Amino acid sequence: MTAARGALIAIEAVTKRYLTSSGPVEALHDVSFSVGEGEFCTLIGPSGCGKSTLLGMLGGLVAPDQGCLLVDGQPVTGPDPRRVATVFQDAGLFPWRTALENVEFGLELQGVPAARRRRIAGELLGPLGLSGFADKYPRELSGGMKQRVAIGRALAIDAKILLMDEPFGALDEQTRVLMGEWLLDIWRRTRKTVIFVTHSLHEALFLSTRVAVMTARPGRIKSVLELAMEYPRSMESPEMAAVRAKLWREIREESLRAMR
Amino acid sequence: MRVPLFRLGLLLVVLAVWEVAGRAANPLLAVPPSSVLPALRDLLLLRSYPELPASLWLTLREIGAAYLLAVGAGLGGGFMLGMHRLIGRAWGPMLAALYAVPAVVWYPSLMLFFGLDAASKIAFGFLLGFFPITLAVLAGVRQVNPHLVTVARAYGAGTVTVFRRVMLPSMLFTLVGGLRTGLALCVIGVIVGEILGSKAGMGALINHAYGLLRTSDYVALVLVTLVLVVGSDVLASLLERRARRWSE
Repeated sequence: MTAARGALIAIEAVTKRYLTSSGPVEALHDVSFSVGEGEFCTLIGPSGCGKSTLLGMLGGLVAPDQGCLLVDGQPVTGPDPRRVATVFQDAGLFPWRTALENVEFGLELQGVPAARRRRIAGELLGPLGLSGFADKYPRELSGGMKQRVAIGRALAIDAKILLMDEPFGALDEQTRVLMGEWLLDIWRRTRKTVIFVTHSLHEALFLSTRVAVMTARPGRIKSVLELAMEYPRSMESPEMAAVRAKLWREIREESLRAMR
Repeated sequence: MRVPLFRLGLLLVVLAVWEVAGRAANPLLAVPPSSVLPALRDLLLLRSYPELPASLWLTLREIGAAYLLAVGAGLGGGFMLGMHRLIGRAWGPMLAALYAVPAVVWYPSLMLFFGLDAASKIAFGFLLGFFPITLAVLAGVRQVNPHLVTVARAYGAGTVTVFRRVMLPSMLFTLVGGLRTGLALCVIGVIVGEILGSKAGMGALINHAYGLLRTSDYVALVLVTLVLVVGSDVLASLLERRARRWSE
């Protein structure tokens, strides 16, 4: 299986093994997949199926053992913040920086002059719902706010691709749903290409243009679902219920295998 | 306003108790403040010990040299132990165990190696100051949240940037605390070294006055030394406050 040429992101026959104390473990096995520009593509699958590893590889933080990854037709050899921005499950804010300074971080590393990066970050705070919190330190922010600062930090560098590794995984259910709505709004306005890792069926169905279900370890792509429903989506429509049932069957099978 | 008043009050009480107790005791062994004051005046006017400025200057230079060496070796050793997992795990505990040994047991051999002059005092000050600095760096490096390093790398940070933007601010409080403790111990090391055996420096003067039972001169010298020690710590605490402001 070869990934489609000309896609913004192409993952070609990627395999990754980790050495553990009980011997080598294959996290990903011969994974091929591609994502087109402007897509919101969700990776879903049981714990330990290598979703985060795959995302780490796209971000240039993890190297594959075999196969290769192409972004914009160029092989990924290391972190490339000009094209790819990452949001992690743990917001990973720098505690000695204010919300605004955290949003500025990536721009600072790219050598953007102080006045300009301050303006860019400042303009982002409004849509992030953080106006008035510019000078707060992370310890003064709620979990949802912290994650929005982290997303702001990713948006500030204006990379084409946004990688999100269970960004709302640590939040409570209500906050999570609201953050999903908020992210959808941001995505529709910025037209970024998003690769989103989640455990949540609701998030996958509510947000994605495409959902890739991964198998239990070693992770492969089990199936891909195209979701053509209009945004914003009603979770109660009969069409949604059918897709939901189908997606759940696929995930359930793999989750059961992962538990064994 | 009330804190300084209370501080002053305690000082006056201590002086009063000292005065009363000092008058009652054998004047060869204990002296009341009233007889220390003239001794202090004679000392500062360079009547009793004309070599006072030279001694102070020597002691200060010894402290400076010991501290520079301790900071250099402490930062180098601490980062090596902290960044290199194997070396850190192999040698870290040994270092902590050595730190627990009362350092003064090494002083005789330091005198044998380095002689009675400044070198042995610098070596002893270094020995005392080196450990807290190294251990603080080691603890600081271990405090750094690896996730923050990953985040910085994802945003394009290389080794130097990770060090400057993530590691240094993460460990700053611990590091500065260690540098402050290190300075205090360098001062102690040098002065104790001088007292235990030397020909010059504040410790030698103290030893001289004490040996000749010139007790009021001895106490006056101790007071001058105290100013030196407290002064260096105040300086260090000012630097600590600056570092704190910088990190915020």
